[in-house]
Amino acid sequence: MATSTRVTGHLDNPTASGSHRGALAVLQDWLTTVDHKKIGLMYIGYALVFLLIAGFQALLMRVQLLVPNNNFVSPEVFNRLFTMHGTTMVFFVGMPILFGFGNYLVPLMIGARDMAFPRLNAFSFWISAFGGFLLYFSYFAGSGLYGAGTAPDVGWFAYAPLTSRVFSPGHSTDYWTLSIFLSGIGSIGTALNIVATTLCMRCPGMKLNRMPLLVWLYLVVACLVFVTISPLTAAQIMLCLDRYLGAHFFDTQAGGSAVLWMHFFWIFGHPEVYILVMPAFAFANEIIPVFSRKAIFGYPAMVAASVCIGFISLSVWAHHMFTVGMGPGPNAFFTFATMVIAVPTGIKIFNWLATLWGGNIHFTTPMIFSIGFLFQFLIAGLTGVMLAVSPFDWQLGNSYFVVAHFHYVLVGGILFMIFAAFYYWYPKMTGRMLSERLGKWHFWLFVIGFHLTFDFMHVPGLLGMPRRIYTYEADRGWAIWNLIVSSGAVFQAAATLLFAYNLVHSYFKGEIAGPDPWDAWTLEWSTSSPPPSYNFAVTPTVDSRRPLWDRKHPEETDAQYE
Amino acid sequence: MEHENETGHAGVHMPLPTVWPVVLALGLTLIIAGMVTHVAVAVLGLMLSLVSAVGWFRNVLPHEAHEIVEAPIEPLELVSVRTSIDRIPVEPMHRKVIPVETFRFSTGLMGGIAGGIAMIAPATLFSLIKYHSLWYAMNLLAAGGFVSWAGESNQFLAQFHLQGFLAALAIHAVTSILVGSLYGAMLPMFPRWPILTAGFLAPLLWTGLLASVLNVVSPILNERIDWFWFVGSQITFGLVAGFVVNLQAKVRTPQFQALPFALRAGFHANLRHDDEEKDGQA
Repeated sequence: MATSTRVTGHLDNPTASGSHRGALAVLQDWLTTVDHKKIGLMYIGYALVFLLIAGFQALLMRVQLLVPNNNFVSPEVFNRLFTMHGTTMVFFVGMPILFGFGNYLVPLMIGARDMAFPRLNAFSFWISAFGGFLLYFSYFAGSGLYGAGTAPDVGWFAYAPLTSRVFSPGHSTDYWTLSIFLSGIGSIGTALNIVATTLCMRCPGMKLNRMPLLVWLYLVVACLVFVTISPLTAAQIMLCLDRYLGAHFFDTQAGGSAVLWMHFFWIFGHPEVYILVMPAFAFANEIIPVFSRKAIFGYPAMVAASVCIGFISLSVWAHHMFTVGMGPGPNAFFTFATMVIAVPTGIKIFNWLATLWGGNIHFTTPMIFSIGFLFQFLIAGLTGVMLAVSPFDWQLGNSYFVVAHFHYVLVGGILFMIFAAFYYWYPKMTGRMLSERLGKWHFWLFVIGFHLTFDFMHVPGLLGMPRRIYTYEADRGWAIWNLIVSSGAVFQAAATLLFAYNLVHSYFKGEIAGPDPWDAWTLEWSTSSPPPSYNFAVTPTVDSRRPLWDRKHPEETDAQYE
Repeated sequence: MEHENETGHAGVHMPLPTVWPVVLALGLTLIIAGMVTHVAVAVLGLMLSLVSAVGWFRNVLPHEAHEIVEAPIEPLELVSVRTSIDRIPVEPMHRKVIPVETFRFSTGLMGGIAGGIAMIAPATLFSLIKYHSLWYAMNLLAAGGFVSWAGESNQFLAQFHLQGFLAALAIHAVTSILVGSLYGAMLPMFPRWPILTAGFLAPLLWTGLLASVLNVVSPILNERIDWFWFVGSQITFGLVAGFVVNLQAKVRTPQFQALPFALRAGFHANLRHDDEEKDGQA
């Protein structure tokens, strides 16, 4: 028999909800809000729009590569497509969506009413958003207002000397530089807020060793953002100086160094992968225990592993540069460091498996996405270890094998957990459940599409197909593999559209969620769905890592055992 | 942050919504966009930035603008789907052989340092007997860190090299301390025959592990190693480190605190015996 517990809660002030307000009032409400939840939702909404745009760009690229000698798009358009796809997915989908969830969840999970600096929070969102708009404005004005527009075409990592004025005239590269510069300001602001909120605004009783693992991971991510965005921003400014004022930082012929750009970029670029993947870990840490009906296995080890990953991730960047010819010493060091990072990551995988082990597993949509994540992220990690071996990387660097590997991480790992997070926290954000039936369809279609695309993408890489090529000859033996890869993209697109439909449809017609639809254990489920603007009328007090478990089961609280 | 309002509900101070963050963000964006569009765009951005900066300051100084939001407190019903607790049947002593006393972390470090120093003796003896040099074993260890030494002669390795000395010192010190720490953690788990397990079996296992990976870690060491002397130096390490570790006082673990008072006070010596008696009575 289910047990029912009455807890002190609170409902939002019904007079404040504006069901009859005009569009202008609603617009003003969202433009001026400093509420962390609304800002989080704006981050998520904004990222979803860019997800659709960048996903469409990926589809166009896959159509182009569907068959040999195809002319669906021109080489110039193809260059712009992969540049915009990569840049958008990393800076204007991945980071905003993860910051969005962080914004929404961190204060709720630690029993706070808002972020430490609410106005800075709003500013951070808006400047990141304007960065994205500026990037896409390049399609209309890439060569300045007096010329025809062109989007950037230098790749998402914009290697020198391709970015110099000689090879990249007009303003398209400047749009890339400046939009990322703006987005970086927003990222630093949000990171600052997350650190200050986590360290200074926890509710009574929430010591660091009782903090939800999601919050721990966001704390590590925020610290990584501080360290990594700075060199990226410095490099963008140096590139601007090169292009506008004739400086020669990256101009090899004038005493500069193109490799310097690579170092600057990848010392941001590789930790960036961990900035993106650690929130995915954070979601798994919350979702897997709830649907295994067990507390997370090895909480201290999970925290230690997260902090270790944060530190080690700062010393692996040059594995992206094995083909540059750095010499045996650096190659050996970066090979070693890259392999070492597999150790704390492995600890996490084992702890999730141990959490599942013997649990009463509920195969809800968030859980099946999480299980998919576990398998796929493991495979992504294994191909990562393969590429960490520098001689192996010399053979397959810049091939489609690398593309398959990092899409396994970004899609198979991160995107799967983002979907899981949507299904898990959507009821909290909107007060309504997402359709489980559509969710299952979404999962299976996406799994099929994902594996068709990215499993088979390894093969043309092994056969020598370089990345970023516009087309290929029929006699290379790559055609059948590209056909399969492109067919998988169709499944993924269909699944994503189904997901978008589910989001919209459930918002109006979804089942009412109630405050705690999953019988979960963290503080966000102790308030109404959606939560009121102040989150908690009475500041909660916690005695363990699962405060809501303690309230529901006073006869056997976690506090007795921790 | 909280106070009672007129209706008796708790009122909460929340920051007042403000337009200045979005205006400042737009202003800065336009300043930046001016670089790639037109100077007029940058000027507009500058104006917006200045206005919004003033507005933002006035919003928070001298007092932060806020609103009081009514927060009615009502009970929420939280339902748990948990229906029963499954207890896994286990033996009374199942997996309960946990040390009640262990060594401090520093004990392992001391053991490692002592073992590392002692190990130098057989290694130097080997160098003197086989190559008539004090430095051969040292350079062989260091060679793993220098790719260029792979093809060097035995004569070269028998000479003193400062960089070889420093590299060998670092490798030997780090390894000794790590293995010593491992000894400190492991020894309480081997209450019987510590000399045999820690002094002989552990070094032999370690040697076996090293033998299987040495070709990858240090091909030059793998090529020229004398396994007889190597095992001898490992056993020297094991015996000395184990001896030093065992000399140190142990500290009680949390498991000790969980024992019944009678056991902690030393009145009973065998927990298993007590449990068996209880089971027999039942």
